[in-house]
Amino acid sequence: MSARGLTAGQPSRIMVVSCPELRDPDQSAEAARLLDRVIAVVTGFCPDVEVVEPGVCAFGARGPARYHGGEKALAVRITAAVADLGVHSRVGVADGLFAALLAARASAAGASAAGGRDPVTVIPSAGTARFLAAQPVSVLADQDLAGQDLAGQDLAALLRRLGLGTLGDFAALPVRDVASRFGHAGERAHRLARGLDSRPLAARPPPADLSVAREFDPPEPRAEPVVFAAKALAERLHEGLAARGLTCVRVQILATWTDGRESSRRWRHDGLLSAAGVADRVRWQLNGWCSAGDTQQHRDTAGGVTVLRLAPDLLVRAAGQQLALWGEAVPGDRVARAAMRVQAMLGHEAVLRPVLGGGRNVSDQVTPTPFGDEKEPRLAADRPWPGRVMGAAPGLVFPAVRAAEVTDDAGQAVSVSGRCELSAAPAWLAVRGAPPRRVTGWAGPWPLAERWWDPAAARRRARFQLVTDDGRAWLAVVQDGRWLVEAGYW
Amino acid sequence: MPRPYPAVPIPSPQGGGIPPVLPVLSALRGLLPRGGLVRGSVVAVAEFGLLCLALVAAASADGAWCGIAGIPEAGMLAAAGLGLETDRTLLVPEPGPAWPQVVASLLDGCELVLLRPPARAPVQVRRRLEATLRRGRGVLLVAGDWPGAQARLRVVTRRWTGLGDGHGRLRACCAEVTADGRGEAAMARTRWLWLPAEDGGVAVADPLDVPFYVPVAEQLRAAPALRAAGG
Repeated sequence: MSARGLTAGQPSRIMVVSCPELRDPDQSAEAARLLDRVIAVVTGFCPDVEVVEPGVCAFGARGPARYHGGEKALAVRITAAVADLGVHSRVGVADGLFAALLAARASAAGASAAGGRDPVTVIPSAGTARFLAAQPVSVLADQDLAGQDLAGQDLAALLRRLGLGTLGDFAALPVRDVASRFGHAGERAHRLARGLDSRPLAARPPPADLSVAREFDPPEPRAEPVVFAAKALAERLHEGLAARGLTCVRVQILATWTDGRESSRRWRHDGLLSAAGVADRVRWQLNGWCSAGDTQQHRDTAGGVTVLRLAPDLLVRAAGQQLALWGEAVPGDRVARAAMRVQAMLGHEAVLRPVLGGGRNVSDQVTPTPFGDEKEPRLAADRPWPGRVMGAAPGLVFPAVRAAEVTDDAGQAVSVSGRCELSAAPAWLAVRGAPPRRVTGWAGPWPLAERWWDPAAARRRARFQLVTDDGRAWLAVVQDGRWLVEAGYW
Repeated sequence: MPRPYPAVPIPSPQGGGIPPVLPVLSALRGLLPRGGLVRGSVVAVAEFGLLCLALVAAASADGAWCGIAGIPEAGMLAAAGLGLETDRTLLVPEPGPAWPQVVASLLDGCELVLLRPPARAPVQVRRRLEATLRRGRGVLLVAGDWPGAQARLRVVTRRWTGLGDGHGRLRACCAEVTADGRGEAAMARTRWLWLPAEDGGVAVADPLDVPFYVPVAEQLRAAPALRAAGG
């Protein structure tokens, strides 16, 4: 960090690199990629780089400048390196982030005026106050002053109307008067104008690559040696994580075959798996992958495993594991092992745990969550959900609604009007494929209009409960003039 | 609200160790020869429905993990109403062609597996699963046909109440359930149950309350009346 080795009150030298062409990375994917590469280049000069806003990054200049032989030399090298990527950049160096940003902007303006000759502006420590004082108050306009009542733009306009043209004029006002007249935002702007911007840079060290990989040359066609290697790999992975005091929520196992195909799966880890446990998962994954394909011929074409990679996913601080005392059911070892074996055979999404939630339709009220994932209902259960079907819950909820035909005594299809009026009493119900059955009791229509504000999800439906003469009861809906059966009660 | 059916584990006659049966809801005890699901056995229910979920509910509430394989339409809300603990439930909606391996894996982890086989099980597959079952002391509940099942249950008739001609809503269903099987379960038993009762649970139905119950003597005396009442 830039503040290291400084005494209190000593201003920090900040270098700002600004690429005006990349201010809007949303406009194309190319710009976003280029911006990423520019930041990577700057990171090569100083690892602790903060991206202030799109196209602008900043870092503490004192250390790198000393290493590279002065601020000017460092700035010239950075602009040259960035120019190699085909991007024009401007560099400003000053005391504090605000002044450095203004310096970079000044160099941008000066450079375009002078034909792009000097894209670097270095404001010496002693000159920062003078540099700031000469700036017009309009530079406050695009500052985020964190004021609810007064935006930067309004403040700049107000100051100009009061006859305060430059930051120097503004800074000359007493703090107390500024605070009482302009509030919190004004006080913060005043601090900026006086060069007291002391926000430290929130630089983030580049993430270390904690994944481990092992190449097999020649490719390994049998599973056992791969599993054996996986155990050693997992030990390395755990050591790397433990050295940083981290643990991972999931571990990704990625195996690449000779023909370029990859088998990748994420497994729950939570810091609980031993190296042997990870190796077990590698074996399940390889077995599942082999049995999923069409056996021998498939295996021959796939060749062997060339690369096995274990990558930690979702790193968290290792804080030990506290099991629930009561309340939540924690799957025991046996259950987890069984579930994961099935997941290895059929895929992560094949083993589900139901989570009860709320909702107006029976199919919304249960959220199936893959085993090992966070359990959270899609719709909260503690809301009133007006319009849901009350009473007994259906024993069968069809995952795909079944088409049905409902006819009256004369054999005419029963329809529901827009005003929820029935054309006739339902007399026969034929669920897709099955012969029609006599309706012995029915109730409805119960209308439901959902999400009318969202054209993609909006639907209007009328629900019915029907009992047929075989004793079964059905939950049927009419939507867009068609009868559908959603659930069965038996 | 207290659970309507406290799942009381049935004490084992040997004392100590794991009890030889998994508990069932009190209303269902009369249907099963030992008042519960005998560990290591296969129980077959003719068709998937609330009866299957009701048979699993008490054991799940008692702490057993329960796997449900091959039944994507299982209504978990109704199951929770019957007492099933959804936190201790694993669903494998599509076990696919390798379903015997899937069921064997589930039986390793869960004490109770409710299965609707996607295809008719060959004899060897059945033998292998039954062997796994005996080893793991679990119970396999099959929705469908399973030759050699120790107990077989089916719903013979059912009648819903609460729904009129264009009014009302489904309230409760009165069902006649019969059970038979092999060995000690060979004697057929029949019970009238509210499945579900108005509170979502299961209750023994009093013959006098049954909406279409007609005593046998009266059936014999007035056959036309039966047709009228039976609809």
